[in-house]
Amino acid sequence: MRQALRPLTTLVVGAVFAVPLYVVLANTFKHGPDIAPSPMSPPWPPTLDNLTAVMSRPDRLFWASLANSLIVTSLSVVVLTVLSAMLGHYLARTHSRWARVATLVLLSGLMIPPQVILLPIVRVLQLFDLMTTLQGLILFNVGYYVPFGVFVFAGFVRTIPRELEEAAAIDGAGPVRVFWRVVFPLLRPATASAVIFFGVWIWNDFLNPLIILGPGQGTTVTTGIYRAVGQFQVDFGTMFGLMFLASLPPLVFFLLLQRHFVKGLTGGAAKG
Amino acid sequence: MTAQLATRPARAAAPAAVRRRRWSPEKLLHFGVFAAPGLLVYGCFVLLPILVSVGYSLTNYNPFNPDTEFVGLRNYKLLFTDEEFLTSLRVTTVLTVILVVAPNVAGLLIALLLDKKGPFYNAWRAVFFIPVVLSSVVVSVVWTRLLADDGAINQVLGWAGIGSVGWLSEPGIALYSLAWIMAWQMLGFCVVVYLAGLQSVPQELYEAASIDGAGALARFRNVTWPLVAPALTINTVVMLITAFKAYDHIQVITNGGPGTGTTATVAFVVLQTGFTANRQGYASAMALVMLVIIATASALALKLLRRREVEL
Repeated sequence: MRQALRPLTTLVVGAVFAVPLYVVLANTFKHGPDIAPSPMSPPWPPTLDNLTAVMSRPDRLFWASLANSLIVTSLSVVVLTVLSAMLGHYLARTHSRWARVATLVLLSGLMIPPQVILLPIVRVLQLFDLMTTLQGLILFNVGYYVPFGVFVFAGFVRTIPRELEEAAAIDGAGPVRVFWRVVFPLLRPATASAVIFFGVWIWNDFLNPLIILGPGQGTTVTTGIYRAVGQFQVDFGTMFGLMFLASLPPLVFFLLLQRHFVKGLTGGAAKG
Repeated sequence: MTAQLATRPARAAAPAAVRRRRWSPEKLLHFGVFAAPGLLVYGCFVLLPILVSVGYSLTNYNPFNPDTEFVGLRNYKLLFTDEEFLTSLRVTTVLTVILVVAPNVAGLLIALLLDKKGPFYNAWRAVFFIPVVLSSVVVSVVWTRLLADDGAINQVLGWAGIGSVGWLSEPGIALYSLAWIMAWQMLGFCVVVYLAGLQSVPQELYEAASIDGAGALARFRNVTWPLVAPALTINTVVMLITAFKAYDHIQVITNGGPGTGTTATVAFVVLQTGFTANRQGYASAMALVMLVIIATASALALKLLRRREVEL
């Protein structure tokens, strides 16, 4: 009896917790008109109508949003990873007072809420002629998330011995070569957690693209759902189909890289 | 923001002997290639906007009103008597208290439940974490459907003979429903951080405590609880910042209502004032006060919680 208590409790608590997840899954494959009257019923017989309806919308909302999200997320993540790995390495290896000040200023960026920056960012982006463009959003992402990248990389660089880099430098390699050939491959665990966090955050960002891309100028998947919900108050089938498709990339990403997710998340929890 | 946030910055031991010439050409090139690009983007898109904000906050700037005047600290003084702002502070405080306490307590309990090896428990860990990687917009829309007046939860309550509840339409209830939704989304984060903390507790300590005759409760109080302190620190600070920044769920689910401002957090009011009412000078002052509150609260929390962490 006592033996069964833990799995049984897990099952009950887990099942209650998972109800909203079940609702998305069930209603994505259910006939549209059945969703409102019986949201909890299983999707039997299952249908793909909702998914095809989303994908063949005449305004191409889904495909346009998907393309924008893919471009913004992938470019932001690549630029962020490269810039913050190099900056993190530089700051971790430079022992001057100004490097410590720069590190502090960057790290305090970790808790700046986007609301503080978003009001004036409109003016700053207009200044560079980048308002309502994908480039503008990407550059904003890089600036906003670079503190986290520096935090992850600088912390990790301190754990790898300096001698490796010095040996390569003595062999005549310049700093850039040493970094990409010797240091960067050693940073792989840090790179994994940085890429995971950047990827999920930027894919799911709602407020930043809403304001920077502006009302008329194309949407990402999150702002696309937000706009669509207002339109299809009645058509729940399309709504659930859209939400399911938008959640698929981060979900697959998470399930594939589960172990790295946990490691990245708990780098600080398990002291070491 | 994330777990990583709370790790102690490793103290850089500065070897004074290494100090050579200050800015040789190589050093400058090294700086230019490695440090300058990242610092430049951060400067342009984070530091510069904050400075612009400070400037705005001293004016009555409104993009649709050409006469911008310097008003000194008037915006800051106005905040203390602004009913909308004071209400939003109260709303944010309620939300923060719930979001710091509820996912922390529930997260630790669930972590204790799932702290076993095997595919069964691994699978449930993954399920609890799924909402963390979902977009807040998706989570908001699903819960809006579930909690709607004719939604699934009220249907179930109807079958059980209890009348329906205005989860999102009743001014006195909506804020708590919102807190519930956000707590649901972040719960898995706390669970995973606690699980890592639990797994770092050496098994021998439990055995030693058992030999000394400690019961399950005493083992939890004297072994588990002190040793998951770093996890508690991380979860508390992360939830604190999450609650203060709360915006997405509010815009999608309640838009600040029902009624006037019953769920409008400071973060929400800042953007309403800035972009909908276009009072950008005043909104900037509000945003900077918000920044000071977040910085103070998280620094205080870190300091208090660090004190009770023990070294193994």
